[in-house]
Amino acid sequence: MVTVERNDAVLVIAADQQLSMLSRFRYMIVSTIERLIDLWRYRELIRNLVVRDLKVRYRNSVLGIFWSLFNPILMMMVFTLVFTVMTPHFKVPNFPVFVLCAILPWNFFLASINGSIRSIVDNSSLVNKVYFPREILPISVVLANMVNFLIALIVLFAFILLLQIPFTPWVLLLPLVIAVQVTFTIGFGLIMATANVFYRDTQVIMEVVMMAWFFVTPIFYSLSILPNNYEILGMSFDVARWARILNPMASIIENYRITLYGIGQGGAPPDIYFFMRTLVTSLLVLFIGATIFYRHSRSFGEEV
Amino acid sequence: MSRPVITFENVSKEFKLSNLRVRSLQEMFVSMFNKEMRGKRRFWALDNVSFTINAGETVALVGTNGSGKSTALKLISRIIDPTLGTITISGRLSALLELGAGFHPDLSGRENIFLNGSILGLSRREMSQKLDAIIDFADIGEFIDVPIRNYSSGMQMRLGFSVAVHVDPQIILVDEVLAVGDHKFQQKCLKRIRKLQNEGVTILFVSHDFDDVRELCNRAIWLDHGVLQGDGDVNEVLGRIENTYESNGQAKPLLSSNKTEVELSKVEL
Repeated sequence: MVTVERNDAVLVIAADQQLSMLSRFRYMIVSTIERLIDLWRYRELIRNLVVRDLKVRYRNSVLGIFWSLFNPILMMMVFTLVFTVMTPHFKVPNFPVFVLCAILPWNFFLASINGSIRSIVDNSSLVNKVYFPREILPISVVLANMVNFLIALIVLFAFILLLQIPFTPWVLLLPLVIAVQVTFTIGFGLIMATANVFYRDTQVIMEVVMMAWFFVTPIFYSLSILPNNYEILGMSFDVARWARILNPMASIIENYRITLYGIGQGGAPPDIYFFMRTLVTSLLVLFIGATIFYRHSRSFGEEV
Repeated sequence: MSRPVITFENVSKEFKLSNLRVRSLQEMFVSMFNKEMRGKRRFWALDNVSFTINAGETVALVGTNGSGKSTALKLISRIIDPTLGTITISGRLSALLELGAGFHPDLSGRENIFLNGSILGLSRREMSQKLDAIIDFADIGEFIDVPIRNYSSGMQMRLGFSVAVHVDPQIILVDEVLAVGDHKFQQKCLKRIRKLQNEGVTILFVSHDFDDVRELCNRAIWLDHGVLQGDGDVNEVLGRIENTYESNGQAKPLLSSNKTEVELSKVEL
């Protein structure tokens, strides 16, 4: 095991340490704190990478950053056309808002994961040549997509006003829902970024996985239409419940929909335990992701 | 002045060749059934190397290709970890392993200066203060607000070098970078390195150009196939290398003092 210790601006990198269980635990805590301090010291880099991402995305396009606004509007027009004009029996009140408050977070998640998976490999020229905390790469991808998502939310709010869906004080929960999603996305992104360094198949497999994930997540339907008892081999399954437990994105998206759409339509306010469970799951995923990433990131320089 | 800033204690670095190769699940499955591919081929890029570099020293790292020089620089700059041994580093480090590593082709020179500065760990305010000096030294002129992809390779190198020497490093690692750019810019770089020397910056210098080495350094560390072969006065060590090659009757590959034959090992555009 390689240990890195810092004292009085002196950096000691020691290989082949035989650590006892207790000192291993102590080292884990100390190194976690040091990595967080390191992350804070490099906050300027995170900022610059986020800005770089956004600038590069819209460079050479006439509308520039306004695409973040127009994109959801155009998307909305397509969905409205398909689901209200072409299939009139598909009756969901205020459909544009119903679908927009699910698809915007989903697109944020999708773009973040696709970006995180490739973040280490695509920046190999950096990872090979300079030291910096490697987790900055996936984190900055997620944050850049978050900025994009926040701009797109403006469109959603415009539709909510336009269709006269009443805002409730519950809308104040929105920052918390976003925080939960960011936590989960970074955690999952760290796992995927690590996997892709060692097996480049990850990014190909994940294309299929993300598509399947899209369909099992309540975006074009509501969780409430899933059956509560579905008979398989004589056993009854509560599909709606399992869909929520096994898929954190289902809970996160449902939380968006409850706060922005459901309550305004006369639905029930969010269940606080439901909220807390999603938060705990996300923190757990972040912890697992960070642990896996930290364990392997020190050899990224040799692998990419 | 004899405070140690870089210390290698019995440092070894092993690369697993199999690790370097298996890149996909397909290859992993193949190697599970094919015993030959599974064989753990390893080699030691550095083998039990110890040395100490003190503050303010300018030390040359010499040796043929594959002798472990770049591995040593990567270990010092924390890009890779040692397999055995301990490395101790004190002070802010600026590595010129590759000029302009992290430049983004679609961003302007100015934007890239700030990006590069933050990669090296500097704040925006610190970079703003150095901005004029960096642009001035790189001699980019009005191109500073043009995307980097429109720069000539020489301009990119100049900007990269300029950023690296302006971030107030206490330790600077120079890998072959003097081989780039035209003669005028090389002279400017050498002058700059001498200025850093006078300011007490510790410099670790990798070059195949023995003239440059003799001119800049007073101490040389000679690595051969990952083993430390010599460490001492620059003329003495370089003399021994030259003798070794002459007594073996070999040509001196890449150890020539002819400037036109300097190898460009780290140029990527």
